[in-house]
Amino acid sequence: MHDSHDFKIPVGPQHPALKEPESFSLALKGEKIMGVDIRLGYNHRGIEKACEERSYIQDVYLIERICGICSHAHSTCFVQAVEEIAGLAVPRRALYIRTLVAELERIHSHLLWLGVAGHEIGFDTLLMYAWRDREIVMDILALLTGNRVNYGINTIGGVRRDIDADEIQQILKAMDTLEERTKYYIEVVTEETTIIERLAGVGVLSHDDALRLDAVGPTARASEVKRDVRSDDPYAAYGEIPFNVITDNHNDVYGRTVVRVKELMEAYQIIRFALKNLPEGPIEVKAPRKIPAGEAVSRYEAPRGENVHYVKANGTENPERVKVRAPTLANVQAVKHMLKDRFLADMSIVVAAIDPCFSCTDRLISIKNLDNADTKIINWEEIHSYGIKWYAERGVDFSDLNKRFAERMGNR
Amino acid sequence: MLLTLFNILIFPGLLFLCACAFVVEYLDRKFYARLQNRVGPPWFQPVADFIKLIAKEEVIPAAANVRMFSVAPLVAFSASITAFFYIPLWKINPLLSFTGDIIVVLYLLTIPTLAFFIGGWYSTSLYARIGAVRTVTQMFAYEVPLFISVLAVALLADSWSLSEMALFYAGHPWLWLVNLMGFAISLVALLGKLEKAPFDIPEAETEIVAGIFTEYSGKLLAILRMSISIETIVGASLLAAVFLPFGLALSPAAGFCVFIIKILFVVLLLSLLRAVFARLRIDQMIDFCWKCLVPLALAQLLLNLVLKGVFI
Amino acid sequence: MTTEENIISELSAKFNYLSGKITIQRPRRIYLEVGLENFLEVFDYIVKKLGFSHLCTITGLDEAQNLGFIYHLAKAPGLLINLKTSVLKENPVLKSVMEYFPSAEIYERELVDLFGAKVEGLPQGHRYPLTDDWPKEQFPLRKDWKLAEHKK
Repeated sequence: MHDSHDFKIPVGPQHPALKEPESFSLALKGEKIMGVDIRLGYNHRGIEKACEERSYIQDVYLIERICGICSHAHSTCFVQAVEEIAGLAVPRRALYIRTLVAELERIHSHLLWLGVAGHEIGFDTLLMYAWRDREIVMDILALLTGNRVNYGINTIGGVRRDIDADEIQQILKAMDTLEERTKYYIEVVTEETTIIERLAGVGVLSHDDALRLDAVGPTARASEVKRDVRSDDPYAAYGEIPFNVITDNHNDVYGRTVVRVKELMEAYQIIRFALKNLPEGPIEVKAPRKIPAGEAVSRYEAPRGENVHYVKANGTENPERVKVRAPTLANVQAVKHMLKDRFLADMSIVVAAIDPCFSCTDRLISIKNLDNADTKIINWEEIHSYGIKWYAERGVDFSDLNKRFAERMGNR
Repeated sequence: MLLTLFNILIFPGLLFLCACAFVVEYLDRKFYARLQNRVGPPWFQPVADFIKLIAKEEVIPAAANVRMFSVAPLVAFSASITAFFYIPLWKINPLLSFTGDIIVVLYLLTIPTLAFFIGGWYSTSLYARIGAVRTVTQMFAYEVPLFISVLAVALLADSWSLSEMALFYAGHPWLWLVNLMGFAISLVALLGKLEKAPFDIPEAETEIVAGIFTEYSGKLLAILRMSISIETIVGASLLAAVFLPFGLALSPAAGFCVFIIKILFVVLLLSLLRAVFARLRIDQMIDFCWKCLVPLALAQLLLNLVLKGVFI
Repeated sequence: MTTEENIISELSAKFNYLSGKITIQRPRRIYLEVGLENFLEVFDYIVKKLGFSHLCTITGLDEAQNLGFIYHLAKAPGLLINLKTSVLKENPVLKSVMEYFPSAEIYERELVDLFGAKVEGLPQGHRYPLTDDWPKEQFPLRKDWKLAEHKK
């Protein structure tokens, strides 16, 4: 590589280090990164535009599908804004259930991240262990909401499913198991030499830079920026639940890892408190179909950082404007900064350390029809009936499924 | 003549080695999976993978140098097999032997690495080129401690021939314990040679896709994978012959069992190390080899020199 | 007086034209609107003097004749000012706030791509979020832009 001054290596849109399509073009000199060129937008699905053409209640489900990992974060953030405009007083029990699902989601997201981080530094054993334990929390989420991802628990004015004593017992039991495992991970992360070698001093973001570049979430908190919407601007039941905002002064990937594993421990406490103090009462209030004109900004601390939704209503059934700002977008500038003068080998872990979620970041539905090679737009009804047909051909009949589901709900 | 041909092609040559390679690959994957709390593959998975790859279409990049690109895996494959004939496996005398064969074995074991470099470099893919450069950079780091520690053992036996070394250690049954540190060093170096975690830097998936193997597909990839498995066995046999030189004077059947146990021990140790460490960065790897392994290897050398001067 | 009310009185005292135009919709949420001519001085004051040093995002709005832009500025703990300004659709030019917030780059590019705003002071770079071969003068988040028409 004697003539490697302008050695450019493409990382993405398709690359094993990235689970989603974004492009990082790295200018290398030997193993050293001289410059980074980030091109985003490969996943832009036009969800904001699509929201304007649908009713509020349809939007809840559409918004939930911005991201598979932090789906509850997006849907909660959106319903909060709509509830604020409509002036709905959401029952306390519903707020507690939202908080509960939010923290369960945080646990599943952070465990997922821990696994990914392990994989990025070539430590697959950690990946396998963390994802094995993540199944526990996924099962709990499926128990509570019926889904492993895209829970569909939120609705405007409350939540759609209540929680019973048996479920509470199961959650508490799962929390005990997870707490014990998390203690083990804290030990592994803080004591295993090769992990520390790969994480410490990598992807440095000083306290001042974190503030200057508007970093959010664990990325900011690992640079000692005490920025957490849950305590700064409490939503759902967070105003009533005591918890610590975890910060760390390592300013590097190691710090971000420590922040995340410690946040797991906090999440278990929050869940235990929420379950212990779960208020009785209804779980939703009836929301009008037409939302009065108005606007609201809603903030939410997603596992990756601050999530901001802006909703403007115009008195009709459909919103005038929905704006979504996912945490990853806020951290992109920080990543650029962190990659400078680092080694190629550090690239994947530095990018992974902000826990990027590019599907959140990019939000057009454009479906490639392989039969006639050109791009075809399928509208909502077509895709809906297509889905039903596809499953029916494979022996899954949803009408039957719906009936059985109704019976099951009736039995409870 | 016919016997030699039998020895080279069937036992303990090509066919036997390939069979062993499947078994070793299976054991490695299964053990690695169990360490990670996974179920792991069924016993025929390596064979199935091999057949699948053989059946797949071979794609060679348009810009690649076709000759170099396709010859490299074959060179790696034959070099690993050739090295096997010089190593005493379950009896003192290997198939082929002459004074200085230990140097030849070490040299032959270096060839696959160089072949990987050439294959990666001539495939012209960016990822493969970075991988190729990393392979060679890494080679300069682990070869030195490996050579020093192996030669330290040879020094003690006062011979450059593997069979004479085996004879010497058979005469001094407990002397091999002196070389345990050398065994540890060589084991770590072998991880580098085989490009396994924590030294899988040249094929680091999350950084450079598959490194040197990025552009390989079909039969060529099958041969590449096979030669790495065979290199694992040959490397393990070399370590067993040099550092664990016992049981060679037993009856062929018993000797064979001891040989299998030794190989399994080394292979499972390699899997264990692979499961408990994260991948290092290339600079950290080189630092580690030169600052830790080389001094330790030199200490082993010194120890053997003193032992030789004073006791033997 | 609450913190929010303090901020309102401070802003109203400093900029006469703002008095009566600032609302507190709920605790920690302040909304205000300024014309483009006064935007930068109010923005500067809020960021530098009032310490709202975190830009959450910039929201673009299509308001028939105008394009509206809301700058969501946050300050610890939890205060959020939604500073709105608007420009005529015929000439949608506004100044970049990148010298205050380097992170504004991506939000401003979004305004450029999706609303057709012209942001002065935005450095050359990749577009975001649309593809490089996106047709000119097509701004998807404007109300008159329909997906079906575009596809024809």
